Amino acid sequence: MAEALFYVLGALCVLFAVGVVRARMPLFSVLSLLGSFFCLSGIYLLAGFPFLAATQLLVYAGAIMVLFLFVIMLLNLGDAAEQDKHAGLSLSGRRLFVGSASAALLALVGLAAADASGQFSAASLPTGRALDDLNELARLLFSHYMLPFEASSLLLLVTMVAVIVLAKRQRERTRAGAARAGERSPEELAASGAPR
Amino acid sequence: MNVPTGHLLALAAVLFGLGVLGFLVRKNVIIVLASIELMLNAANLSFLAASRHWSQATLAGQGDPSAGPVFALFVILVAAAEAAVGLALVIALYRLRQTVALDGVAELKG
Repeated sequence: MAEALFYVLGALCVLFAVGVVRARMPLFSVLSLLGSFFCLSGIYLLAGFPFLAATQLLVYAGAIMVLFLFVIMLLNLGDAAEQDKHAGLSLSGRRLFVGSASAALLALVGLAAADASGQFSAASLPTGRALDDLNELARLLFSHYMLPFEASSLLLLVTMVAVIVLAKRQRERTRAGAARAGERSPEELAASGAPR
Repeated sequence: MNVPTGHLLALAAVLFGLGVLGFLVRKNVIIVLASIELMLNAANLSFLAASRHWSQATLAGQGDPSAGPVFALFVILVAAAEAAVGLALVIALYRLRQTVALDGVAELKG
């Protein structure tokens, strides 16, 4: 039963992934990405990782998807962006060849791996508890993986600052940059009335 | 679920291949970012498949099954950061050029 569900979810996941690559509009691409995330979350659940399945849904389907959709709506692209020739493909011959060749190669490697490592018995799995036991995960994160954990918090901080700097309006950014460098324009000085 | 590890890895490889294809072939930058997310998810799936493989009792002591979920968690975190920065770049690009097509963007080519 669970096996059949895995294969159904896997096939759906691949179909959604094909949809991501060949969707005409970015909106449909992102929506099929959402479907692929849901299928993967189900696979995580079946494989014995309930916490990561929940994280997948919360972070990917909840946060990242909303970010994607928000940007698509914000940019107001309309149909014009995709109604050009080649249906949105940059068919520059060589790139298409390299892309399909590497995709086919990776898929072949995967299928070879599937052939080679056939032995897996769920009966020998430790039953009754999840493979991503939350206590164990937390203990590892705060002991063995302490440094990466702290580095990731730093990464999130840097990301936040970078996003604010990048997504701000150009005008405000230059003014902020000038103020930071201590070079305020004469107009600004006069407007604020601040004595130098 | 009694699925062999290889089948999980095969699914991950197919997803990664599709991500590579989308990354190289599409020119809409939002679809390119979605393809990157697809590749990161494939990496996550293979981490979890390996973790599940090494947690079998018959393979006890040969691998570290607890490393998989931890690294999958880190990959999810990095994916979130990457999506945020990437989409901010998309907004900056759109403000500059009024387009999201990657073909015409070669400012950094030198």
